[in-house]
Amino acid sequence: MTTSRTSSTAASSGRESGRRVVAGLAAHSGLYGLLLAAAVGALFPIVWLLIGSLQTSSELYRGSHLLPEHPQWSNYVQAWTDGDLGTYLPNSVIYTVSAVAGILVVSSMAGYALARIEFRGKVAVTFGLLAVMIIPAPASFIAQYKLMITLGLTNSRVGYVLILISAGIPISSLIMRGFFANLPKDLEEAAAIDGSSSLNTFARVILPLARPGLIAVAVIQGLAVWNEYLLALVLFDDDTLMPIQRGLTNFVSAETPVQNILLAATAISVLPVVVFYVFAQRQVVQGISSGAVK
Amino acid sequence: MTVRPLEGVALSRVRLTTRRRSPLARRRELMAYVFLLPAVALLAAFTLVPFIQAIVLSFQQWDGVSATTSFVGLANYEFVLHDTVFWSSMGNVLIFGAAGFVIGNALSLGMAIAVNGVRRGKAFFRTAFYLPGVFSVVVIGMMFSWLLAPNAGILNRVLGAVGASGLQHNWLEDPGTALPAVAAVFLWYHWGFGFILYLAGLQDMPVELYEAAGLDGARGWAKFRYITWPELLPVTAIVSLLTLLGALQVFGTVQVLTNGGPGDHTMVPTLRIYQEAFTNRRFGSAAAMSVIFGGALVLLAMLHLWLSRRRR
Repeated sequence: MTTSRTSSTAASSGRESGRRVVAGLAAHSGLYGLLLAAAVGALFPIVWLLIGSLQTSSELYRGSHLLPEHPQWSNYVQAWTDGDLGTYLPNSVIYTVSAVAGILVVSSMAGYALARIEFRGKVAVTFGLLAVMIIPAPASFIAQYKLMITLGLTNSRVGYVLILISAGIPISSLIMRGFFANLPKDLEEAAAIDGSSSLNTFARVILPLARPGLIAVAVIQGLAVWNEYLLALVLFDDDTLMPIQRGLTNFVSAETPVQNILLAATAISVLPVVVFYVFAQRQVVQGISSGAVK
Repeated sequence: MTVRPLEGVALSRVRLTTRRRSPLARRRELMAYVFLLPAVALLAAFTLVPFIQAIVLSFQQWDGVSATTSFVGLANYEFVLHDTVFWSSMGNVLIFGAAGFVIGNALSLGMAIAVNGVRRGKAFFRTAFYLPGVFSVVVIGMMFSWLLAPNAGILNRVLGAVGASGLQHNWLEDPGTALPAVAAVFLWYHWGFGFILYLAGLQDMPVELYEAAGLDGARGWAKFRYITWPELLPVTAIVSLLTLLGALQVFGTVQVLTNGGPGDHTMVPTLRIYQEAFTNRRFGSAAAMSVIFGGALVLLAMLHLWLSRRRR
């Protein structure tokens, strides 16, 4: 644009493009303004929660200061003990780790079979997975509760984890199928010629190559399990077994605690998720995309 | 282990002759069944059986405790038919669905185009916009019952500070504002999901398309109308389906924010089903509701998939 300013036509077109640059800059700063406003909208509630969680009760209700004068870290200590978070948080860790591990094992096996083995009934199984995925939670949670009573699995860690695993299987299997299908065609044959058994090939050759898929599944299912609420509400009466989401609502209804303590308890519950998200946001984003596109 | 070369031979024969006959193919087929067994067994036991059981239970009476259930024919459905709260909850959830479908979709797409258009800060905006999506419904409920609290809540405080105290409301307990407020909260945490998918779609779009259109003199709106929109149609189909299904199944947010109140102004079907079973101890009619509502959701999902496939 800056090369031919000498001729008059080029000069006018230069002015033209200059005007366009100015207009572009204005549009650009407008765009940034819009984006920043949206970012504030997305971040403000959590920031406000954190600020509130560090205020004294009277500060909170007077609302005279934007920031707490003396951050009340003791709110967090009180929330931890009064809210029994020492019970609920480890429970959530147990449920999340075991359910995600289960989902990874079961769905990578199923996804592998669907992607790379010819067998009779393949179309039926694939269609079945899709059909099961359409069944919404509101249609079956009442009957799931009844089933768990029949099996003696209410108020049971095993029962809750089993239900979480089966809820995660359909989408995870389809995601894994997609990742396996994209691997080179003759991997198995080459491994077989090298003397590797089928099972060995799957564990040593195929699975490591599908690592991005395993990570995507682990990340989105990990978030889903950590945040699960409906089934935890239905299946647990016993305080000592509840995951954090259920524990939080228990805390509210049981003793109507002071607002700032409640905010601190909420902050503690969300902290692991936020830290995880900030560090793994690229994997989270990829996981969402690969989950939805399938 | 001296038979390896033979297996190599068997492998090459697999290709030449029919697949099913060769021992290797048969062994692989067996492996497929073994590998699928855990998934199929778990799904059958904990998803499929309960789905069918829900249908059976909808013709029975059960208080949630006793070991026996008795058949009552269509009585539960008759009961549900006259449950005005359930039907108004269906109406309420349609408002959630419509809000997500129209406003949520537009917001997701608009912000994705905006983020895609800037050079700097893409990663920051993407991270910020999806952050609400990783919060649990309980956390979101806690957050907003504090933000929207009648006296100490920041929204009313700001309105008071800027001299707009006439606009102050008891947002979650005023029958006029409760449903829009809860729907707005739903939008707040859900639009980032569609945004992520739209952004991925935009980034996958071939640059040449835009360059060619630019040479043809297409600008702003025309580019959007004739390139962006048609190219993104498959993404729009999946985003609108998932947003709609998410909106219609909303539960935890509502339970924590209003528990369906004031009156039943923010009642949604899943919460109604939950209450019918666990508060009123009428599991039979709760099952009937979940069959009606769940059936409607399944039909909707199938209709949507059919429509978006036909369009393609």
